[in-house]
Amino acid sequence: MAEQSAEQDFGTEAIGNLDALYRGALRLTRDPDKAQDLVQDTYARALRYQHSYQAGTNMKAWLFAIMRNLYWDRFQKANREAVSIDDIGEFALYDQMRDDLGEGPETEVLDRIARGEVVDSIEKLNPLHREVVLLVDVEGFSYKDAATILGVPIGTVMSRLHRARQQLQKDLFEYAVESGIVPGGLNKRS
Amino acid sequence: MYDCEDCVRRLDQLVDKELSAPEVEEVHVHLDECGDCTKRYRFQEGLKRLVKVSCEDQRAPESLREKLRQQLQS
Repeated sequence: MAEQSAEQDFGTEAIGNLDALYRGALRLTRDPDKAQDLVQDTYARALRYQHSYQAGTNMKAWLFAIMRNLYWDRFQKANREAVSIDDIGEFALYDQMRDDLGEGPETEVLDRIARGEVVDSIEKLNPLHREVVLLVDVEGFSYKDAATILGVPIGTVMSRLHRARQQLQKDLFEYAVESGIVPGGLNKRS
Repeated sequence: MYDCEDCVRRLDQLVDKELSAPEVEEVHVHLDECGDCTKRYRFQEGLKRLVKVSCEDQRAPESLREKLRQQLQS
């Protein structure tokens, strides 16, 4: 069997990351057509700069960095300045629901939250929070790789991730109350 | 001595597997004797898993895959 050329290897490895990139693009753009465009442009740029990719290093991280930069250039350039991170204070879903959880396993309530609802809550996050959840929680990047992809210090990854999770829990808690998964909720305590 | 506040502060790093082995051990010493923090930890872990599984079953459309394959191999 003939050996594959370096270009073919690059192409095969790049295509191997397509589902992850597409999922990421969907979360970032929140629109399937825009997501497809973003992914196509990411691959076009990757192809153009493939000489700068070092074989054997983390291609998934490299592709995500390209996509993330394209996303900010295209969709967020105008409001880059305007994206600020509100401090919502500490919010822990577990602490909010502790009294309602009873004796059952504490994760039982999570099993009752519809996956579509989780996706909606992620998409409601501001883009700086959304991208860090996407990288660390969905794609499993380490803090260090996420920091490289985002071009920020590790401490920034950690603080954004923490706030993102707080916001996510707050949103899911509201959903859990509205949908009757947990009774009473905030009203009970206010 | 490690208290609940120290533990809660490290929960993100614990669920993300970003603590060193000695740090993990330290947290677990507290978790072993604190039911509330253990539940909090399991909950955080469950939430992380839920976020992942909620997103990961989406696959790229076949038409896009085909288009990119041609683009990359031309």
